[in-house]
Amino acid sequence: MHQNSHQNRKIFIFFLLVAWICVAFYGFKQTDLGNSSEKLTTIKIGYLSGDEIEISAARGALKKKLRAKGYNVVFKKFTSGAAETEALASGSIDYARTGDTPPVAAIAAGSKITYIATGGVKSNGTGILVKKSSGITKVSQLRGKKIAYTKSTASEYFVRALLKKYGLSTSDVKLVNLETNAASVAYSKGKVDAIVAWDPTTAQLQLSGSTLLADGNDVNYNNRSYILSSSTFAKNHKSLSKLLIKYLSQDMKWANSHHSTLIKLLSEKLGVKKSVIKTTINRRKYDFEPVTQTAIKESQAIADTFYKAGVIKKDPKIKSHVQYLSVN
Amino acid sequence: MTKSTFKKKFLPWLLPIVIILFWQLAVQLKWIQSEFLPAPTEVVQTAIVDWKKGILQKNISISLFRATCGFVIGGGMGFILGLLSGTSKLFRKTFDSTIQMLRTIPNMALIPLVVLILGIGEPAKICFVALACLFPMYINTYHGITSIDPDLLEMGKSYQLNTVQMFKQIIFPGALPTILMGVRYALGTMWTALIVAETVSADSGIGYMSTNAQQYVDVKTIYLCIIIYAFLGELSNYIAKNLETIFLEWRNSARSLTEE
Repeated sequence: MHQNSHQNRKIFIFFLLVAWICVAFYGFKQTDLGNSSEKLTTIKIGYLSGDEIEISAARGALKKKLRAKGYNVVFKKFTSGAAETEALASGSIDYARTGDTPPVAAIAAGSKITYIATGGVKSNGTGILVKKSSGITKVSQLRGKKIAYTKSTASEYFVRALLKKYGLSTSDVKLVNLETNAASVAYSKGKVDAIVAWDPTTAQLQLSGSTLLADGNDVNYNNRSYILSSSTFAKNHKSLSKLLIKYLSQDMKWANSHHSTLIKLLSEKLGVKKSVIKTTINRRKYDFEPVTQTAIKESQAIADTFYKAGVIKKDPKIKSHVQYLSVN
Repeated sequence: MTKSTFKKKFLPWLLPIVIILFWQLAVQLKWIQSEFLPAPTEVVQTAIVDWKKGILQKNISISLFRATCGFVIGGGMGFILGLLSGTSKLFRKTFDSTIQMLRTIPNMALIPLVVLILGIGEPAKICFVALACLFPMYINTYHGITSIDPDLLEMGKSYQLNTVQMFKQIIFPGALPTILMGVRYALGTMWTALIVAETVSADSGIGYMSTNAQQYVDVKTIYLCIIIYAFLGELSNYIAKNLETIFLEWRNSARSLTEE
């Protein structure tokens, strides 16, 4: 009897001690020491509202996968591509997703920025719009009209390329440089006759009585997304870049096959109607891959056009700012 | 038999229960009216709310982690130093008076130095606890070893035991009751030191909860923290007491034999 109770006491105390250690270990995990994010290398990725990275961030798979590889991903939202390239140059972020013009402008200005990856084609969603009521049906009819665009963005490249293709010069039309939001307002109030826009604005205007007069396909303009990094960071983190591209492309595959989830997500994030988002994502394909020769040529074309137009002071050699990676 | 069980199991809890009941009644019947004395039920409610928010588990577990780490490091070091002092004359002559001098330094006096050297992170807090656990373990281990009955040692020698056998069969078992008393004592100072550590510069733990509540005159949380400390102290004491019973069973059985 006594022997038995002694045995029970031993077992009880043993379990009490085990419980104690478990709780203490749980406590350890809660402290800064035990919090694994302290041990992980933090990488910061800049993005813009509603872009591919926002999708990745919302899905969460990228963060989880990179965590397993020892990286703690922090997403930082920016309001413009120019702000992102500045942050890259100053080292406050490690990667950034931008459109195609911010890196060209930044490299021309002397920033040491490297192209890491290139995104899918968005040529269907970038273009010039006029109101159906205006009666304009051809690009040539734009002669003498006011066209709203935003300087040193995709819209500037597009409008210049378009005018060139149709044999018009910038003096044949009245180009009005406005910030993207101001441009939309000016267009809807009838202050300008046409607007150069990209999705989801394009889709929004199309669904509210505007015609897409010409889009990126007319001038072979794909208006891709890019993943950029600072040159030094890119040089020292090749394997990380490879992982990033691999996981991002997995997220993009997910995005392509989960449209309904995506529509809900993006319409919430951007505060835009679901029908608009639906049009937007139905006419683009999400993708990320290592930088291709085609993409470099496209970016070089932007650089050349901007240089000739005096938008940038130097004509940078895009191909010397690219890191070619192979991802399997 | 039942009477003795009652005595053994229930009597220790009688006074705390009576105090709590009286406290509840006093507040409920408005014998005492003070904003600094909430009813026990209110304290329990605070505990439930904090538990649901996850604050309570987090802080308790973090405190437990710091306490355990400090105890293992400090207690372990104290044990080893005590062992060396107890068994080696040379070591004792060299180190004992130094250790005794360090022992008298109050924990609070070391705060500025520890913060300067170790910062305000976990190592600093664990260091406080370790320092507090080191000395009781040291003194008791040392004392336990040196106060072994010389006749027993003589007997060991006459049995021609070598040093290891001597240690395993006579010195360590002989010193064990005192060493375990040191464990119990160190467990007490462990919690005291933890409060000090956690009130200095922390953002988690029971001590932090308490000082934070003090800033916002959240009396219920302060009482809750005091009760948690009391509970944790009793829990560690209970474990230590039982460890004594388990490890020192030979002594009890020997005693009960002589009693019979």
